[in-house]
Amino acid sequence: MSLRSVSGASVELASCLYRPLTAPKALMTTEHVSRSPNQLLASLPAADYRRLLPDFKTISLPSKHVLQKPGEPLQRVCFPGGGVVSIMHVMTDGQAVEMAAVGNEGFVGISACLGGGLQIAEALVQIPNGSAQVLELGVFQREMDRRGAFRDMINRYGQAYLASLMQSIACNALHTVEERLARWLLLTHDRIGRRDFPMTQEALAGMLGVRRSTITLAFNALRRAGLIDHVSKKIVIKNRAGLEAAACECYATIKGHFARLLP
Amino acid sequence: MPSRRRSRSRTSRNKLLAALPDGDYRRLLPVLGTIPLPFKHVLQKPGETAQHIYFPSDGAYSITRLMEDGRMVEVATVGNEGFIGINAVFGGIRALSGAVVKVPDGAARVMPVRSFHREMQRRGPFASVINGFAQRFVASLMQAAACHAVHSVEQRCARWLLTTGDRVGDDEFPLTQEFLAVLLGVRRPSVTLALGALQHAGMIEYGPGRVIILDRMALKDAACECYAIVKRQLG
Repeated sequence: MSLRSVSGASVELASCLYRPLTAPKALMTTEHVSRSPNQLLASLPAADYRRLLPDFKTISLPSKHVLQKPGEPLQRVCFPGGGVVSIMHVMTDGQAVEMAAVGNEGFVGISACLGGGLQIAEALVQIPNGSAQVLELGVFQREMDRRGAFRDMINRYGQAYLASLMQSIACNALHTVEERLARWLLLTHDRIGRRDFPMTQEALAGMLGVRRSTITLAFNALRRAGLIDHVSKKIVIKNRAGLEAAACECYATIKGHFARLLP
Repeated sequence: MPSRRRSRSRTSRNKLLAALPDGDYRRLLPVLGTIPLPFKHVLQKPGETAQHIYFPSDGAYSITRLMEDGRMVEVATVGNEGFIGINAVFGGIRALSGAVVKVPDGAARVMPVRSFHREMQRRGPFASVINGFAQRFVASLMQAAACHAVHSVEQRCARWLLTTGDRVGDDEFPLTQEFLAVLLGVRRPSVTLALGALQHAGMIEYGPGRVIILDRMALKDAACECYAIVKRQLG
């Protein structure tokens, strides 16, 4: 499948290179329990998931919904069914910078693994999509104490999450805004499985911690190269392979962490 | 009745170990080795099987990520307020990061990973202090991610000098511009410029292989907010 770019040249959509962040795994389901849209939960043995099911609450994830506020006690963990939740660090002047993102490949509330306590970061729904399954902290900890498949899965995700957080730290120091933008767009595409998503350049600037003018420059560079476009308040990825080439190594590294550690 | 005397080894300079009740600490003693670690010693590389957990006694350690071209970038600093080996808290066997000594440690404590897991499973005071630090450590990572995106080389330089000085407990410590450039993830000339500006303003004095902090207060003003925030977080 290919697109015609503005110049008339054919742009190959590298759909064959696209792989979701984690490969969906066939789950043994019974007729009574439908598969969770969250990949971590979907990877659990059917019996474990069935046991937890009564304790899950389903909440919707509308745009800009705040799941977690820094400094507030952590009370629950959240497994998104889709979309993207931004984990933001809020500076003292109120500027919020994204440090990590969670889609249906993960969960929000990593401090639950470390005894709970106060929430460290702000979790904000950046790209809405459907709902999420929420587990109270007590239930989460009880299930972790069983030291079974749930704990293994949570721990593996925790490692992938930390590794990608550390990679982002290095990336933010070393790489250009253009590279970081390309990385962000690619990871978002992987998470939501769509090439277009609602996003303003304003929001992008905030997330990447740069000035609006800086993001415009970076955005235009990627647009001029035919890699992305901005169409009616949506960002569209036009050339996936090109975008991967424009991204820094951190995209592949982060994706690799999730691919290796998750089912 | 013989009076109970604390053995000298009971006084651990690592604050996490020192916070343990006597009984717990005594139980760990047989598995706690002691090892001096010199400047630039590499404890672990990301992806390597991590055999040990380290509890610094003094000095300072750079937690690093390795880029494909071999460049190291510092993502956090750890001293005797913490431990090195967070992957173990998540049941991992591979190091998530590199760790390198940036200020020498006379007597770091070392524990085999298996002993660490065994003690964690008791869910006692050890698990509490470990989890407590792990949370603060993750918070400092988040601060670093934002810092690197938003703050200038000069601000980050000032912050780095203050943080390292705090860990050492001294205003003078070994430093090469090369090393600092690597850790900050910037080009050497940027570090030269930043250090030059800080020296020109009378905040520091640097010579071959070492730096002296002359004016802490001024250096704090030059640093980004991340210095004060992480200092508060890590205690």
